[in-house]
Amino acid sequence: MRLRLIAVKAVAVSGAILLLAGAGRAGEIKGKVSVQGIKSAENIAVYVDAIPDKKFEAPTAKPVMDQVKMTFTPHVLVVQAGTTVEFLNSDPVGHNVYWPSISGNKQLKGNLGTWPKGEKKGFKFDNVGVAGLLCNVHPEMNGYIVIVPTPYFALTDKNGNYEIKNVPAGKYTLKTWSENGKETTQAVEVGAGTATADLTVKK
Amino acid sequence: MKTNRLNANVVAGLMLGMVLVAMLFVTTPSGKAIPAFSRKYGTSCTTCHNNYPELNDFGLAFKKNGFKFPKDDETFVKQEPVMLGSKAQKEAFPGAVYPGEIPGTIPISFRYEGNFNWNAQQPAALVAAGGYVPRTDLFVPNTFTIISAGSFGPNFSFWIDDDISAGGTGQGGGLGDAYLKYNDLGHYFHLPTNALNVRFGQFELDLPFTNARTPYLTGYDILGEGALAQGPACSSTPPVVTVCGTTNNPFILGTPQRGIEFGGSPNNGNFVWSAAFVDGTNAAYGTGPANTARNSKDVYLHTSYQFNLERDPESRHGIQAAGPTGPRDHTSIRVGAFYYHGTNQQNFGGTLYGFGDTINDPFYRAGAEVRFKYRKLELYGVGLHGHDNNHLVDTEAGTIVPTNAVTFNGGFVVGNYWLYPWLIATMRYDFVNSPSDAINNTYQSDTRNRFSPGYQILVRANIKIVGEYDRLWNKPYASGTGTLYYRPNVFLTGIDYVF
Repeated sequence: MRLRLIAVKAVAVSGAILLLAGAGRAGEIKGKVSVQGIKSAENIAVYVDAIPDKKFEAPTAKPVMDQVKMTFTPHVLVVQAGTTVEFLNSDPVGHNVYWPSISGNKQLKGNLGTWPKGEKKGFKFDNVGVAGLLCNVHPEMNGYIVIVPTPYFALTDKNGNYEIKNVPAGKYTLKTWSENGKETTQAVEVGAGTATADLTVKK
Repeated sequence: MKTNRLNANVVAGLMLGMVLVAMLFVTTPSGKAIPAFSRKYGTSCTTCHNNYPELNDFGLAFKKNGFKFPKDDETFVKQEPVMLGSKAQKEAFPGAVYPGEIPGTIPISFRYEGNFNWNAQQPAALVAAGGYVPRTDLFVPNTFTIISAGSFGPNFSFWIDDDISAGGTGQGGGLGDAYLKYNDLGHYFHLPTNALNVRFGQFELDLPFTNARTPYLTGYDILGEGALAQGPACSSTPPVVTVCGTTNNPFILGTPQRGIEFGGSPNNGNFVWSAAFVDGTNAAYGTGPANTARNSKDVYLHTSYQFNLERDPESRHGIQAAGPTGPRDHTSIRVGAFYYHGTNQQNFGGTLYGFGDTINDPFYRAGAEVRFKYRKLELYGVGLHGHDNNHLVDTEAGTIVPTNAVTFNGGFVVGNYWLYPWLIATMRYDFVNSPSDAINNTYQSDTRNRFSPGYQILVRANIKIVGEYDRLWNKPYASGTGTLYYRPNVFLTGIDYVF
């Protein structure tokens, strides 16, 4: 009986050690995105592409896409598929939000209508792709929801730097999305530390 | 000398005729779409126009608010104004000049309009009598307009537009509107916001639908209708006419006038009123004996009320209604009435007829308006009655006595349907009933009708292709076998862009 108890404890401790070791192996991907023929390296989405046989639960957090001073803020919002985005109108003028397609698929178009200042309207984005946000009253307004398949993503700063944290060790495909550039794909291997992946986005 | 005076009257009549013809066939609206505001606020033309220059609900609210956003204007301005004194200087007033501001960049916009004309074939006799008119003509009237508008701080706003050239290279256009407006004067009398505003300068009357803001290629016929007594003007040269009516009123409702206007748009802009005191347009016509300048002022009154039919209270009270696909104009019916009273003065000191006193011919124009908006459909119309007092001159007897008034009626009905936000089908019906015009052989019958189906294509928010076919009334012309008639129908299509 005593031996059995010792064996169970040993298994539990071993499991815990293995788990901690696994967690310790989660790394990060850092790098810099350079651009060719594009004005700025800011607001480029960098994300880990779909991982075979790996599914992720939809996040519960609801990021906000605001409409303020007749501008979609932020200009680009990257979310994991299954995320509900809340659209806020902070302006005292009427706006609406619609997207004619998601990555060209017009069946996935959406139009959320109109709502007054201070109120939000949510929409769950289940399909991977890019929704170009528009307002049919103010055609100069434009924003993007980039829906990616994994929770491992980042948006470049004004210098093109990005950092994706808590990426489990493994080999992945890194992809980019840019408003004015072509998609860039690059393989990356993440270990226990920081993996560096510099990318170039061309027009 | 007397002959010259009589001929002057004939010349004045001809001038009136020419003005009418010009209004009907040549005039296109002067520019009223303002890219300078797009630059100031960093927004598209479609924010204020569904089909420029016609204003949508937001554009109307923007205009009525002195060219400022109805709420939190400062937060939307992308081009900061230059302050003419700090705001704190208000406290120092009257010890200092009250602070104001001017636009940060020169608020100038430009508009070009040119059309392809395809005219009905003219009868040979008409060509012989009146000269050849080509079947086709390119880029008429070739109008280039400069527009400047903006605000000078919270209350003052301004507008100036001028057709720099019209009808061809180097040809003069003319000043359209040029006014300064003070918004919310009623604030000092504890009246609701914008219940009392005032503007000074030259402006188109606060008409419900104006030739300046029409999106069509031709003006509304009734707004270009003048008044002319029945029968030929007196003349001592063959064919001699010794008895004639004095009414020869070139007044046209759609022409900008110099004056002062009080007005307001309280109750969310549903109620609109204005009262203007103006010089009258006949001051601009004639020189020498035909001079019709005068000292009296004309009065124009206009009021209208919009019944907002939106069911949702939030939409009803909003600047625009909320719809499932975005904000839109309110579903609404606006009804209103307007009245103009003026005096047409002629024969100052007997200069026109060689005898008699100054002739005062009071006249009025009274009309009503209706406008209905529902989603992509817009219907509106105007009915107008014109009445000019008239005198009968007998040049042989040397008498001038009152006689029957000259009257006319007319109006227009318009339907616009937005097939897409960029493609609008239009239909207009214009009608004018003027027995004088028929008797004077300007037109075949008392009533002349015009049907004008058309289209408007917004190639971009600031570039339009506009077209309309005008099926016109019978116009008389002399031939060897007597008076014949033909329809000077015309198809017009052209480009219109602003920047």
